Amino acid sequence: MLSYILRRIAATLPVMAIVALFVFSLLYIAPGDPAVVIAGDQASPEDVERIRQSLGLDRPFLIQFGSWVWRILHGDLGTSIFTNLPVSALIGQRLGPTLSLMTVTLLLTIVVAVPLGVVAAWKAGSLIDRVIMGFAVFGFSLPVFVVGYMLAYIFALELEWLPVQGYTPLAQGFWPWLENLILPAVALGCVYIALIARITRATMLEVLQQDYIRTARAKGLGQGGILFVHALKNAAVPIVTVIGIGIALLIGGAVVTESVFAIPGLGRLTIDAILRRDYPVIQGIVLLFSFVYVLVNLMIDVVYTLVDPRIRY
Amino acid sequence: MDRRTVLKGLAGAGGLALTGLSAPAIAQGASARTLRFVPQANLANFDPIWGTQYVVRNAAALVWDTLYGIDAQLQPQRQMVESEETTDDGKTWTFKLRPGLKFHDGEPVLAKDVVASLSRWAARDPMGLMIIAIQQELTAVDDRTFKWTLKQPFPKMLYALAKNNAPCSFIMPERIAKTDPFKQINEYVGSGPMKFAKGEWVPGAKAVFEKFADYVPRQEKSSWLAGGKQMLIDRVEWIVMPDPATAAAALQNGEVDWWENPIADLVPVLKKNKNISVDIGDPLGNIGSFRMNHLFAPFNDVRARRAVLMALNQEDYMRAIVGDDNALWKPLPGFFTPDTPVYNELGGEILKGKRDFDAAKKLLAESGYSGQPVTCLVAQDQPITKAQGDVTADLLKRLGMNVDFVATDWGTVGSRRAQKTPPGQGGWNMFHSWHAGADCITPAAYTAIRANGDKAWFGWPNSPNTEKEIAGWFDAKSVEEEKAAIGRVNKAALEDVVYAPTGFFLTYTAWRKNVSGIAKGPLPFFWGVSKSA
Repeated sequence: MLSYILRRIAATLPVMAIVALFVFSLLYIAPGDPAVVIAGDQASPEDVERIRQSLGLDRPFLIQFGSWVWRILHGDLGTSIFTNLPVSALIGQRLGPTLSLMTVTLLLTIVVAVPLGVVAAWKAGSLIDRVIMGFAVFGFSLPVFVVGYMLAYIFALELEWLPVQGYTPLAQGFWPWLENLILPAVALGCVYIALIARITRATMLEVLQQDYIRTARAKGLGQGGILFVHALKNAAVPIVTVIGIGIALLIGGAVVTESVFAIPGLGRLTIDAILRRDYPVIQGIVLLFSFVYVLVNLMIDVVYTLVDPRIRY
Repeated sequence: MDRRTVLKGLAGAGGLALTGLSAPAIAQGASARTLRFVPQANLANFDPIWGTQYVVRNAAALVWDTLYGIDAQLQPQRQMVESEETTDDGKTWTFKLRPGLKFHDGEPVLAKDVVASLSRWAARDPMGLMIIAIQQELTAVDDRTFKWTLKQPFPKMLYALAKNNAPCSFIMPERIAKTDPFKQINEYVGSGPMKFAKGEWVPGAKAVFEKFADYVPRQEKSSWLAGGKQMLIDRVEWIVMPDPATAAAALQNGEVDWWENPIADLVPVLKKNKNISVDIGDPLGNIGSFRMNHLFAPFNDVRARRAVLMALNQEDYMRAIVGDDNALWKPLPGFFTPDTPVYNELGGEILKGKRDFDAAKKLLAESGYSGQPVTCLVAQDQPITKAQGDVTADLLKRLGMNVDFVATDWGTVGSRRAQKTPPGQGGWNMFHSWHAGADCITPAAYTAIRANGDKAWFGWPNSPNTEKEIAGWFDAKSVEEEKAAIGRVNKAALEDVVYAPTGFFLTYTAWRKNVSGIAKGPLPFFWGVSKSA
């Protein structure tokens, strides 16, 4: 297993190298110029050109790419064109809010979606099943920002139970931390709850038809034991796969959620960097995200071996 | 007990059990000494000379002081300077600094700091460049005195040092001010009323300013950038909110105290809230513009440009930008900010009265236009440019022009407008923008009115007559002379259609009613602002 994990981690290197080259090339040919944004609307073309030179943006593609790769190999993601701060520091500032949002969303998703899916499968065809699946369709259909605005209006503006925006680090207390994350996590989690509830239901329906389930019933096992011990464990592989894909997709969803709830996370950093053409920041974030994607996939493979002992690498 | 209290109790208890961490107790009254402000944009960098965005200038005004400050009557007033003298020939200026000025690191403000700061500023500022062009020497005479010797008089010297247009001549310690003006500083030490809390800076999300205890305000009443900058709050937190709806909700919920520029769509909601005040933020407003490329057909012919002006209806543009609120806009038969001391709309007839499409079409035909595509760059991510772009596309189509509507983002417009290649080869025919009214009072900081060909702003208008009249304004020695010169500039620039002004519009600002002392002006002034619990 250890050698498998090491091999998989080693395999991330060429993936990331290709991602790096792709992103760098894309940004190089994309329209837009950070020097124009820096210089301001009233700047003369000469000023813009001098800023471009001072940033090294007038150098040939290969020299720019080579110097960036050289820095990456030395563990340096570079310096933001706009803030003059190291990209690693900027990412470090934003990692906490995004990780917090994703963690709370993921926990909420699993805690809500899996039992909903199990119950829907158990009560397949009943009113409960229809209500749950109706909710799933609703969750799929509503964009994150619409859910976000609705939640903010109801729970922040009308009821005044929760704040509209912002982020408080965990170090300043558990409730202040959680208070800011509840609405964004629910908004972001809606679509994933819907997705995972549907997958859980579909997989469970198949498992519940198996002979060993009938045997368990014949032996007099309780419904809870059958559903959550025997059936759910055997339905777990596809559910874990979808949860894993969901983590990757959460990164995309976080971009919108962080904007709606003014959470200073990586999603907003990404948008800001793209709009300003802050190349080193975009490149650093994309590298980080691609690494996370690969890591999540690796984790899913490892989790397979835990839920299904027949799987070995 | 309400549900929130229950939730807090449950989660708080759970949190304590899980982490052992608890929320810090907030000292009583601390919230009343902290002002939470939503700025117009993200403070992505903090060098007011290197980056000339308004948001940087606004934040910098808290941290760095200036030698002179412009007041609400648009007059330069002494700020860091105690006195000044000029020789009879107007070529030598000698300035003396106020005693007791200190930087945030505790070091005194010396004349050598001023010399280094002015040198860096002048390399980036249009008026500074004019001074450099006639400069003989800028030297420190002693710790508190410096001298600027010129080869010819520059009557607008004090205005240049006081103006609020970016870049302002902020004074920095010499070691920082010696940074190449085209490279960014990374130390933010000023002598202004607030210190920048660099450790709390999260670019794109938050910037914090703390009261500078050793700041010595002038004794006069504050007026814009002039007078006594008395800080009545200890801490200002800038909270960046990219989404206007979120900012509106946060203001209604009391999570922020002041929102610099609420969008017009949300103002009615804010006005209904009994805890919120809404008023015009900057009486100098903004001037909408669309800019034509004078290098290529059809707009290299003044008749085509004038045809557009004859058909252009400013009301269409203004309603697209501000909606139905008539208090927020007015027609502008010219280029200069209305209701200012030197305003003059001489020659503005072409923009007044009923629009004459038939005459415009005739003039366009005379210019030789024969249906070639007109590349119109429209940034969709800026509501002001998007609104103007939609109106322009309709206008040009009604004139019978073949519009190549390029819907893109502001970053792309910013780089593409610098292209001097023909429109079909990566260039352009027109793009939209807007100018802060504070920059358009006179030609001093008004880059967009310049018409010196290759050296002019994008579109590269070449109008020797306009340039001659602009030079006349710089030489004017009284308000009457200035006003007459502005009229001549306006007339000449309209005759040659340097650009097309689409009207004058205002924006609101909104704040909680427990905040007082907010002054109308071209930037948010935090001195004199207080907050009750």
